[in-house]
Amino acid sequence: MRLKQGPPDLMLFLVVVLLVCIGLIMIFSASAVTSDVKYQDAFFFVKRQLIWAVFGLTAMLVLMKMNYQKLRELGVAGLILALICLVAVLLPGIGMDVKGAVRQIDLGFTSFTPSELTKLCLVFFFASSLSLNYGKIKSFVQGLLPYLVLIGVVCGLIMLQPDLGTALIIAVTAYLMLVMAGARISHMLILALLGVGLVCLAIYLEPYRMVRFIAFLDPWKYASDEGFQTIQSLYAIGSGGLFGMGLGQSRQKFFYLPEQHTDFIFAILGEELGYLGVFVVLTLLFIFAWRGFQIALKAPDIFGSLLAAGITTMITAQASINLGVVSGSLPVTGIPLPFISYGGSSLMFTMAGVGLLLSVSRYTHDR
Amino acid sequence: MKTTGLEIRKRIATLFFIFVVVICLLAGRFFWLQVVRGDELAERALDNRMRDITLKAKRGTIYDRNGRELAISVSTDSVYAVPAQIRKAKKEREVAQKLAEVLQMDEKEIYDRITRQVSFVWIKRQVDLETSRKLRELDLEGIGLLEESRRFYPKGTLASHVLGISGIDNTGLDGVDLYYDQLIGGTDGKIVIEHDAFGREIPEATHRYIPPIDGSSVVLTIDETIQYILERELDKVMEQRQPKAACGIVMDPKTGEILALASRPNFDPNRYNDYPADNRRNFAVHNAYEPGSTMKIVTAAAAMEEDTVKVSDRFHCPGSIKVSNRSISCAGGTSHGSMDFAGVVENSCNVGFINIGLKLGLEKYYRYLNAFGFGQKTGIDLPGEAKGIIVPQSRATQIDLATMSFGQANAVTPIQLIAAASTIANGGTYMKPHLLKQVIAPDGKIKETITPTKVRQVLSKETAKELCLILEGVVKNGSGRNAQIEGYRVAGKTGTAQKIAPGGGYMANEYVASFLGFAPADDPRLVCLIVIDAPKGYPYYGGWVAAPVFREVMADSLRYLGVPRTEISKEESNQKKTVAVPDVINLPLDEAVQTLRKVGLKVEVQGDGNLVWGQVPKANTRVEQNSRVIVYLSPVEEQQGSGQVTLPDLEGKSMKEVARILSQLGLHLSPDGHGLAYKQSPAAGTRVPVGSTIKVSFQPLE
Ligand SMILES: [Zn+2]
Repeated sequence: MRLKQGPPDLMLFLVVVLLVCIGLIMIFSASAVTSDVKYQDAFFFVKRQLIWAVFGLTAMLVLMKMNYQKLRELGVAGLILALICLVAVLLPGIGMDVKGAVRQIDLGFTSFTPSELTKLCLVFFFASSLSLNYGKIKSFVQGLLPYLVLIGVVCGLIMLQPDLGTALIIAVTAYLMLVMAGARISHMLILALLGVGLVCLAIYLEPYRMVRFIAFLDPWKYASDEGFQTIQSLYAIGSGGLFGMGLGQSRQKFFYLPEQHTDFIFAILGEELGYLGVFVVLTLLFIFAWRGFQIALKAPDIFGSLLAAGITTMITAQASINLGVVSGSLPVTGIPLPFISYGGSSLMFTMAGVGLLLSVSRYTHDR
Repeated sequence: MKTTGLEIRKRIATLFFIFVVVICLLAGRFFWLQVVRGDELAERALDNRMRDITLKAKRGTIYDRNGRELAISVSTDSVYAVPAQIRKAKKEREVAQKLAEVLQMDEKEIYDRITRQVSFVWIKRQVDLETSRKLRELDLEGIGLLEESRRFYPKGTLASHVLGISGIDNTGLDGVDLYYDQLIGGTDGKIVIEHDAFGREIPEATHRYIPPIDGSSVVLTIDETIQYILERELDKVMEQRQPKAACGIVMDPKTGEILALASRPNFDPNRYNDYPADNRRNFAVHNAYEPGSTMKIVTAAAAMEEDTVKVSDRFHCPGSIKVSNRSISCAGGTSHGSMDFAGVVENSCNVGFINIGLKLGLEKYYRYLNAFGFGQKTGIDLPGEAKGIIVPQSRATQIDLATMSFGQANAVTPIQLIAAASTIANGGTYMKPHLLKQVIAPDGKIKETITPTKVRQVLSKETAKELCLILEGVVKNGSGRNAQIEGYRVAGKTGTAQKIAPGGGYMANEYVASFLGFAPADDPRLVCLIVIDAPKGYPYYGGWVAAPVFREVMADSLRYLGVPRTEISKEESNQKKTVAVPDVINLPLDEAVQTLRKVGLKVEVQGDGNLVWGQVPKANTRVEQNSRVIVYLSPVEEQQGSGQVTLPDLEGKSMKEVARILSQLGLHLSPDGHGLAYKQSPAAGTRVPVGSTIKVSFQPLE
């Protein structure tokens, strides 16, 4: 069946470009002081992020122009490549050790994060495979189990780095895709309970996670160590008030708030732009989710629906968890804010994902 | 190609709905943080980023009762710069050059400082007056002077234990300076500047200036002159008898005002670090000791007030008494014979006091102990006051009551004892001892004037008056004769207490000698307590060691205050025959007694042994016939067995006499000049090895 090609979803495109621009401005504002001190270059981070944004925009436009159905075969290949990279990063000499975790592969001029590639490839593969197996998924052993094994392998490899945050996002996204693909709600509830049990086990096995968890419940008690980030983040957000201290006027970025241009960039945004800025970003996020799921609902086939819903879920869930952490509502997990936080691989693969989403949008039709 | 079924579409729609809820929750959460709690969090964030530059408040002055400065704050100026102001005026070069000249600092260094990206920088701390005057004249752009102050005690060691000390950060650490730190210290001000997490100033940082509030000045009840007299006499006795510690207090019995208070060993509060920390211990309020006979005034007062004894009652002392199968002896174990109540007090007869105490009973005795303030803090305005140790009433036995009655078993502080004595001296009212007289605000206005606090009426006026007369007898006829002051009626009580060993029991050779008294006896103006802890040498009696200190302090203080002398009626002095006291020093006891009786004098013996080491009054003093002469004995074995002898007082003796006395002791004489002895080295009371040479200076009579 040949599908009628329409224009891509312009609103979604504009929202993403706007979010990336806000991200670039905030990265500059948040990192200028620290990067000036560390690298004698206030533009150190923003320059790098700009290059990646260009790569990302290119990837987004290229994928948008393509027919997502023709890329179907690439799904398996991409996943295999991602898994190879995940294994490779764990090998000594290939992975870069940053703050006790090995998450990146050094490419000389820049670094590459395999887990970001994996995230996108897994969503793509799930959409492709689940659409082919529609109906079978109701069976636990024949339908659900192979996917669960795959999730387990991928998340297990990522946790070896260790990178609990990304593993969590992948697990949550894959889980929600299984639900959307028609898995039995009873199966999924039992799995959810098992998942909670696993998280508890993970916390139990690594004491530092436990402390982080407790610190989240009462950050003021741990103000000088584990609760430090949360409290400094709350200070920043609270200082913003309704209208913010003005762009570039953050006080908390003066070394008080760690990760101020990555995981906690939204706190600086809240401090400088106030609740108005926060509200604008949340509105953009809402529009993104609305358009994304709208595309999923109007997609011409199950593959398109699951691909669009999977990518939208991945990005929205990640954003929600990040904002939950920044606002002190969730324990600190180490997840960047899509489009806005500094991080080249993350930005590029997220934008590539949006490219796929836009590709689907070109084939939607109203029912 | 399969089209998306309804089930999938429903689930996608549900998930979208869930995300919308999550986004709304986040919007609510941020609204709560930023709009509802925004101000509070912003304030806390600012506090978290603020660093202070403290501006020290100036401490108030401490004055004596006549407005003489005892502790002052010396102001010094510190130079600071506000680089932004200098930058604005574009005068960096000029300012740096002029400052370098005045402060005699390196111009480049100053330039570096005033061009720093900070809003406030010190150029030089605590510069001298001349420099700050020059800077004020120059009035440079962006350069300012801030006053910082330092505590200075202009009188040095004088009243050190009262005034206390102040630390380098200008806060009170001891004494009045600590006790009234809140009052004297004022409130520090500060300049608050916002900083980054590493303590560097944030550009365009927030500033706050909170000016310091200077402290109030205080006027003490201390009289600098009386304080000086007391300290001079304490220093004298410290040099002569080298005791472990000593203290003296002079108090106005009618108001409870402390006129002088000093402890030894001493220190200079301006450089307190040069002295052992123990020197800062204020014996007068920190130490509790077993007071001995001075405590008998409490037993006497209680018994008189309760009518347990009448002045006319007769007592008999056989030399010792048995209480609950324990034998307690009178001093020296000799019988005091038969006497009236006044005689018991004058002789300080233990047996007499035990009888009085037992007759009084535990319940009444404790009532008076409490009423006189023992076992409780007096509330004197000095830090670290001790409560003393009183045998708990519930556990007190007849033995305890007996020993308490003559001053053992309980430990009291000197300040408690003098407060009790003041009660007797002022007609029976317990006055709270205090040091603060007035508080003066920084603007010079009187903020508060302290009125004397009457705590309670302990004795009736009549009892108090009667007891005063009896205590006058102690000085006139009894063990307190060394406290007599010509022209004044003096009342008082001596005390000689064996010191308690750390492990319990009493130490063989260490005594606390004390004298507690007041004058004039008929209308007391001053009460004074002198306590000497473990004087070296012999004799160690309160009447011998402490009473002369009391006499000197009181005589000079009464004269300084212009207290009128009591005219001794001519009739009285004509009626009585007077005799000159013969010299009995170094005579065997029986010979001395015979010599004294021959001229019609009574003899009171103190101590054991058979050689006379001292006498009161001194030889050649004219006294009434039939009055008592105290002879102090020394055990022979102590003098000879140890190979060491105690030097007698040789003053006023001829060279022939001196030579005879010294040769008897096995010492050699190295004379200087001729006439009568007026100076000796080592001093009287010093213990020297047999065979030593003693230097004695003589001068002819005018
Ligand atoms: Zn007796």
